[in-house]
Amino acid sequence: MVKDYSKYIILFITLVAVQLLVLNNIQFSGYVNPFVYVLFILLLPYKISGWALLLLAFVTGLSIDAFNNTIGMHSSATLFMAFIRPYVLSRFASRENSDRTGIPNLANNGINWFIQYTILMVFIHHFALFYLEAFSFSHFFVTLGRTLLSTLFSSAVIILSQFFVFRN
Amino acid sequence: MNSLIRFLTRYQYVLLFLLLEGISLWLLAENGYYQRAFFGSFARNISGFVYSQTDKLDQYLELRQSNLNLAAENIALRNDIARLSYALNEYEHSPRIDSLNGVKYQFVKAKLVNNSVNKQHNFITLNVGKKHGIEPEMGVISHNGIVGIVASVSENYCTVISLLNIDLKISAKLQKTGYFGSLYWNGIDYRQVVLSDIPQHVQLTEGDTVVTSGYSAIFPPNIPLGVVGEISNSGGNFFTVKVNLISDFKRLDYVTVIKNLQDEERFNLEKADKNG
Repeated sequence: MVKDYSKYIILFITLVAVQLLVLNNIQFSGYVNPFVYVLFILLLPYKISGWALLLLAFVTGLSIDAFNNTIGMHSSATLFMAFIRPYVLSRFASRENSDRTGIPNLANNGINWFIQYTILMVFIHHFALFYLEAFSFSHFFVTLGRTLLSTLFSSAVIILSQFFVFRN
Repeated sequence: MNSLIRFLTRYQYVLLFLLLEGISLWLLAENGYYQRAFFGSFARNISGFVYSQTDKLDQYLELRQSNLNLAAENIALRNDIARLSYALNEYEHSPRIDSLNGVKYQFVKAKLVNNSVNKQHNFITLNVGKKHGIEPEMGVISHNGIVGIVASVSENYCTVISLLNIDLKISAKLQKTGYFGSLYWNGIDYRQVVLSDIPQHVQLTEGDTVVTSGYSAIFPPNIPLGVVGEISNSGGNFFTVKVNLISDFKRLDYVTVIKNLQDEERFNLEKADKNG
């Protein structure tokens, strides 16, 4: 149990550091802004209670916000994504893991399931984030383009990271 | 009472979500972009330190380009010196009339430690702060155009509202005809900004130079900003002009912070007019 907590703390610190020091500096043509820290919310255990899920999402979003000068923006988007997570997980019940214990990662559920889960969740997060940032629908398709391209890129990084780093 | 408690326990997940989301959106809406820059003063001291460490690495990679920029700036300064020494010579040999026109601006060199171009509200962090005499609302320029306006200052760092921030508007004019309008970013392309409020009778051609107007007390007049690109009719009696920026915000490295030494005098004068 203690080991699990320390694993999540290390994961949190690593993801926030990677996001701030590496990924925030990636700016292809102003359209691709990967946000990979959402992996922390994706990998929380199935059995986590609702309030813990929401509070962790809030804290994660706020810590990204504090460094990005965007108080409220990332926390709103991350909260929204965390709120939808239980519905997505119950929709996406996989055959390999029908008793639903452990964590929803690639090793437990297989590649197809994980790709679908990641892309859907990341899209929800990025959609909320980019429209909150623009705060209008006046450049609707420009914002949608940024959302889609960034979703693809973030998802790719998240899925690849599952192969190389988090193989537990 | 019982039914209230049952209601709360039943919908605790949704209610907690609505509460936290409400707090987030309130934070987002309540703080203007100026104020939000203050909110992060705690984070800025940490992030400023971290960013300046990682930036040391970047410096090596960008050395070649910044050398070229410095060389170009050197030549421009040399030309200025040649011109000014001629003017000084003339001045010293002419009869003195008044000594009121002192130095109006003072410049502080600064280095970027963090920058972005991919958001709607971009901010820049510089490695100068209170210690170096920086105060909020000072202008920041690079060797080819405006960079932004200082938003908030800590001991060793300051954050700058980038020109690529949809909330920033500055006053600019057409060099050829002198008509002025407001210049802002529309959030789409980091190489292009918009100049609006140019009356329709003004003769405009693509390639005209746009410079700062000097009406705002923050920037000196006649700093070149960009060249006129696509011209469109915004309805009403005004043109909306796309301006291609001269400076590349992705490659900014060293910038100059401008201190307006007569700012206070002008501010007091304008305030007196408004009150009267």
